[in-house]
Amino acid sequence: MSDTSIPAVSLVAGPGRVWHRNAMRWGFILLLPLLIVGMELAVSLIEPRVLSLRNVVNVLVQSSYLLLFASAQMVVILTGGFDLSLGMAVSVISVATALVTTGLAAAGAPIWLVVAAGIAVGLGVGLLVGAFNGLFVSWLGINPFVVTLGSLNICYGLATTISGGRPVFNVPDAFSRLLYDGTFVPGIPIPVTLAIVVAIFLYFLLDRTVFGRALYLIGNNPRAANLAGLPSKRYLFLAYVTCSLLAAFGSLMLTARTGSGEPNLGGSLMLESIAAAVIGGVSLQGGVGGIIPAALGSIFVTALSNAMDLLEVGGYVQQILLGCVIIAAIFLDRIRVTGS
Amino acid sequence: MADHSTTADTSLTSALKRIVRSYKVAGFLPVLLTVLLIAFAIFIPNFLVVKNILNVLRSSSYLVIIAAGQMLVLIVGGFDLSQGAVVALTSVASALIMAGLKDTLPGHPDLIILFGVLAGLGCGAIFGLVNGVCVAFLRISPFMVTLGTMSIATGFALLLTSGIPVYGMPKSYVEGFGRGLLLQLPTAFYLAAAVVAVMWVMQNYTRMGRYILAIGGNIQAATVSGVPAKTYLILAYVICSMLASVSGLALTAQIGSGQAVINAQLTLESIAAAVIAGVSIKGGVGRVEMVALGAILLLTLTNAMDLLKIDPRIQAIFLGIIVVLAVALDELSQRRAALV
Amino acid sequence: MVAQMTTVDADNTIQSRASQGARDDLLLDLSNVSKRFPGVVALDGVDFDLRRGEVHVLFGENGAGKSTLINIIAGTFPPDTGTFKYRGKDIAHLTPHGARFMGISPVFQEFSLVPELTVEENLFLGRELTVGGFLNRRAMRARARAIVRELNFDLRPDYKVSQLSRAHQQMVEIAKAFLTDVRLLILDEPTASLTDAEAAKLFDLIGKLKVSGVGIIYVSHRMQEIKQVADRVTVLRDGHKIKTVAARDVSENELVELMTGRKIGVLFPKIVSDPGEKLLEVEHVTLADRSVDDVSFYARAGEITGIAGLVGCGKSEVIRAIVGLEPISSGSIRLHGTEVVSPTPAAMMQRGVCYFPSDRVAEGLALARPVRENASMAALALPGFSRHRILQRRSERRIVQGIVEKLGLRPPNIERAVASFSGGNRQKILLARGLTRDISVFLFDEPTVGVDVGAKVEIYELMKALLATGVAIVLVSSDLPEVLNLSHRLYVMHRSRMAAELTGADINEPAVLSHFFRERQANDTVTHALN
Repeated sequence: MSDTSIPAVSLVAGPGRVWHRNAMRWGFILLLPLLIVGMELAVSLIEPRVLSLRNVVNVLVQSSYLLLFASAQMVVILTGGFDLSLGMAVSVISVATALVTTGLAAAGAPIWLVVAAGIAVGLGVGLLVGAFNGLFVSWLGINPFVVTLGSLNICYGLATTISGGRPVFNVPDAFSRLLYDGTFVPGIPIPVTLAIVVAIFLYFLLDRTVFGRALYLIGNNPRAANLAGLPSKRYLFLAYVTCSLLAAFGSLMLTARTGSGEPNLGGSLMLESIAAAVIGGVSLQGGVGGIIPAALGSIFVTALSNAMDLLEVGGYVQQILLGCVIIAAIFLDRIRVTGS
Repeated sequence: MADHSTTADTSLTSALKRIVRSYKVAGFLPVLLTVLLIAFAIFIPNFLVVKNILNVLRSSSYLVIIAAGQMLVLIVGGFDLSQGAVVALTSVASALIMAGLKDTLPGHPDLIILFGVLAGLGCGAIFGLVNGVCVAFLRISPFMVTLGTMSIATGFALLLTSGIPVYGMPKSYVEGFGRGLLLQLPTAFYLAAAVVAVMWVMQNYTRMGRYILAIGGNIQAATVSGVPAKTYLILAYVICSMLASVSGLALTAQIGSGQAVINAQLTLESIAAAVIAGVSIKGGVGRVEMVALGAILLLTLTNAMDLLKIDPRIQAIFLGIIVVLAVALDELSQRRAALV
Repeated sequence: MVAQMTTVDADNTIQSRASQGARDDLLLDLSNVSKRFPGVVALDGVDFDLRRGEVHVLFGENGAGKSTLINIIAGTFPPDTGTFKYRGKDIAHLTPHGARFMGISPVFQEFSLVPELTVEENLFLGRELTVGGFLNRRAMRARARAIVRELNFDLRPDYKVSQLSRAHQQMVEIAKAFLTDVRLLILDEPTASLTDAEAAKLFDLIGKLKVSGVGIIYVSHRMQEIKQVADRVTVLRDGHKIKTVAARDVSENELVELMTGRKIGVLFPKIVSDPGEKLLEVEHVTLADRSVDDVSFYARAGEITGIAGLVGCGKSEVIRAIVGLEPISSGSIRLHGTEVVSPTPAAMMQRGVCYFPSDRVAEGLALARPVRENASMAALALPGFSRHRILQRRSERRIVQGIVEKLGLRPPNIERAVASFSGGNRQKILLARGLTRDISVFLFDEPTVGVDVGAKVEIYELMKALLATGVAIVLVSSDLPEVLNLSHRLYVMHRSRMAAELTGADINEPAVLSHFFRERQANDTVTHALN
C-alpha cells in the first residue's frame, strides 16, 4: 500500500549506496571525539591552561553531572518525546531534599537517618514528577511538549514557594561527603565514579533488557510496537519515570556539591541536557541513541563552556552560542537520518 | 470505514449539529467568560472598579496580540517557544535605539520613535525568518528551532543590557502611547482590536487564511493543489514573531524602559490562551476571535487571583495545570468525535 | 458543464474520430519514458498514448509503475528520459499547476483533501476566486453548487470533508477535477470506495465525457470494470510496458497473466484443506462506529477462511476487532471455545492469535531497526529471547536467522535495517514474527499489497506450510483472484454486513460479485414480488 506507491509530493528515500552510508555512519561516530580534541588543542594555543591536568579533571567532573541529565533526557527522547520539566524538577528536588535534611538534622535525628531521608525524599519527588509526566503522555496520549511544559511550571511554582525564593542553606556535611567530596575509587572524584556507574547501568538497561529494546521500538513506530504485543503504554510511562529518577539522582549530587537547596539549580539544565543529547547523536525523531552519544555530547558541551569560561567569553554570549550549536546539531541530525 | 452517507438529515438538525461540532470546547468560552466575570464582580471586592478593569484590558491586550501570532504558528502545525524572548529583545533593541538617538535628533521625537519601532519590528522579522526558514527548508522540528532562537534572543537581550533596564525613551512614546487613554480605554486595547480585526479578515476573506488552514490540515493535499506551502509556513512564523515585537513595543512603552527580563511566562500564556480557545496542537484549526477571548479569560483569572492575594508562584502552578487540562480535554473530545 | 467541455476542440474531435490511427491527433503521446528514484527504477522505457474520446486503462499491480506514470502526466515530477507530447506539442518542465491549466485533471487515490475545510473550500484550494484580493465567496459557492449539480453527485458544499463518508470524499476528489476545463482526465482507482449506485453514476459521466472528446486514463486492477468502460488496456509490470491491447480482444485470464507474468495455475499453489475444530468464532459482532454490523463467521484449523468485499465493507475492521484494535459495542468472540473479553493485541498474541496489519509501514514494522529486532518484536518475553526480562541476544540471533532463511529473505542479513528491503521482503519480515511463537490463528489483512510476484508465490507457499501444522488462517483481501483461489471457505461482506458464506464450487467470481451487490438484488426481488 504505502511503501510502494510514490507519494505525490515527497520522495521515498531508498537504500542508497552502501559504502556511502557506512562512511557517513563512521564519520559521525568519530566526529565528536575529534571535535572535542580539536577544539581543546585550538583553544590551548590561546589559553594553555585548558590542557592542564587540573582543568581536564575539572571538565570531567563537570560533565559527570551533565551526563546524568543528558542520559535522563535521552531515555525520553528515545521514545520520541521530551522532558521540558527536567530543569525545574531538579530545582524542586534540590529544595525538598535540603529542607528535609536540614529539618531532620536540626531536630537532632541520627545522621544516617538524615542522609537516608534526604535521598528518599529526593528520589520520591522525582518519582512523582515522572509519574505525572508519564501518566499524561502515555495513558492520555497528550503531546509531551505540552505535558512537560505544564509540569515545568508546576515544579517552578513549587520550588519557589516552598523555598520562599531563597536557597536553603546548611545541608549536612555527611550528605555532601557521600555524594560529592572525596572518592570511592582512589584518584577518581565521586561524581565521576557515580556517573560511570550510572552509565554502565544505562548501557545494560538499554542494550540488554526487554524494556530497553522496547524503548527503541516504541520510539521508531509506536503503533507497530503496540500491535506486536509490547506493553507500550506501560513502558512509555516507565521511561518518563526513569528520566525523572535519573534527574533526581543528578539533583542530589548537585545539592551535595553546593551544600544548599537551590530553587534555581535547574536553570539552564533543560536546554543543556537536550543540547548534550542531540549533539551527541541522539535523534529527536526517536529510536536512535545510546549512552555513548549522551556521554560524548555531555563532554563536548561541558568542554565548550569550560573553554569559553577560560577565554573569558561572557555568559550571555555563551547562551547565544549554545542556541546556535543546538540548531547546527539538529540540522546535522536531519541530514544523517534522511541521508539527503 | 462504513459507507454511510451523512446528507440525509433535515436542515435544522444538521445546522445545529454543525454549530455544536465546530465550536466544541471553544463554544463554551464566551459563556464561561461571562459567568466568571459575573462571579468575580459579585464575590471579589475591587474587581469591578474602573482602574482594575482598565488594568485587565490593558494586560490582556498585550497577550491577545502575542496569542494571535502563536495561533498562526499552531495552525500550521508548529510551535513558537521564542516569543517571550523576542518580546524581550524587541524591548531592549527599541529602547536602546531610541535612547541612543535622543541626542542626535533632539527636536524630532517622532523620528526617534520611528527608528525605535523599526528596530523592534526588525528583530521580530529576523527571528521569524530564521524560525520559518529552518522549519520550512531545513525541516527541523519547530520545537527545537524555537528553543534555539529563544536562547539566542535571550542571550542577545542580556548581552546588550547586562540585565539593566534601558531608560531614555521619548516622553510622547511612554505617556502618549504606552500609558495613554483614548476615549477612556488604553491605547493598547485599540492596537489589539486592530490586530484581531485584521486577522479575522485574513482568516475569513483572503486566500492566506485558507492556505494556512490547509497547510496545517494536510500539507500534502495543499502542495498538490498548488499552494506554495513553504512560503506560507515562513510567513506564519514571521508574522508570529513580528506580532511578538508589536506587543513588546507596546509593553515597553507602558513600562517606560527596555527590559531584558520581561514576563518570563509570556510564551506559556500565549500557548495556553490559544489552546483554551480551541486551537489544536496538531494544527489545521483556529479562530482569532476565540483566541482573543481565551487571552481575556486567562488574564481575568490571573487578575482575580492577584486580587485574592494568591501568590504569583502558586499562580504559575495553576497555569501549568490549566494548560495540561485544556489540551487533555481537546485530545479527549477529538477521540470521542472520531468514534461517533 | 458538458457544453463547456466542447470548447475549441469540437471540430477537432470529429476529425480525430475520422483519422483514428494518425499519431499527430493523439491527445497524449509518451515515448520511451523512464523514471528512477533512489534505489528503485519505477519506469523503464515506457510508451503510452491516449486518443481523444477514449478510455485507456492502465493495468498492473502495485509497484508496477502506474502511479509514477500518472504523476508524470499530471506534472508532479518530470521523467528522466523520453518525450512527452500533449495535443501535438512537446512538453517539458510541467508543474501540477501548469498541467491543470492545460486541461489535465488528475483524481488521485490518496485524497488531496484537507479534512477541516469544507467541500467548497477544498474544491477551490489553490484556485480560489477572488475579487480585489479578497475571496469571492458568493461566486465560489455558486460554482460549487453548479458543479455538484451537473455531476449529479449527492454532496453538500458547506459540509466539512471530515464529516463525509469515504465515498463522498471520493466524489469531492472527482469534482475537484472538473473545476477547470477538462481535456485529459486521470482516474486512479476511482471506484475503490464507491457504492455500486455511485459507480454507475461515474460510468455515466465517463460516457458523456467520451462523447465530448475528453481522453480518460483509468487506473485499475479490477477486471470487471475494464470490461465495462475500457477501449484499450495497457499492462505494466515492474516498470515496463508489457502490452497494449483493445479491451474487447482480451480475456480476464490473459490480463492476469500479462500482469503477473505467471500462469494462473502457478501463481496460486493448490492447498489441500484438512478442516479440524473451530478455533475462532465471531458471533453477531457490531463495532462502536458501525463499520461492522452484526457480523458472524468462524475459522477452523487446517483451512483458509477468506473474507472478500469492496473497500470500506468492514472486512479489515472485523479482524482488527478480534485483536482489540477497534472498539466492539456488542457481540462475542470465542477462541478455542472460550469467550474473549476486552481483547488487546498483547493479550490475543498470548492466546495464540497473530494479526498482520494491512499497512506494514504505519503499523507493522520499525523501519530504522534491524530485521532481527522486527522479527522478534512479538516474542521478546518468551524463553529463547529473554530470561527475567534480560535479552538473550545470541539465541535471538540464531532463531531469527533460521526463520528468515526459511522464508527466503533476500538478502538474509538480519542486521540490516528493514527500510532497505523491498516491499515483498518487508512483508516476509513481518510474517517472520508469526513464526517466533506458538500461534494457532493467523489473521492476514491484505498480505500481498505492494509485493512483487516472486515474493507473493513464496508467501502463498508459507501459508500452505503453516496450514499443514494445523493452524487456522483467516485471509482478508481486496484482491479477488487471490481470495478466490486460496480460500477453502469464503465469506463475502457488503456494507458492514455479512452477505454470504460460500464453499467449494460456489467460490467463483460471478457468485462473489453478485453478493457484492446483493442489497440491490434483494430489493429488486421484493419489487418483483409486489408486481
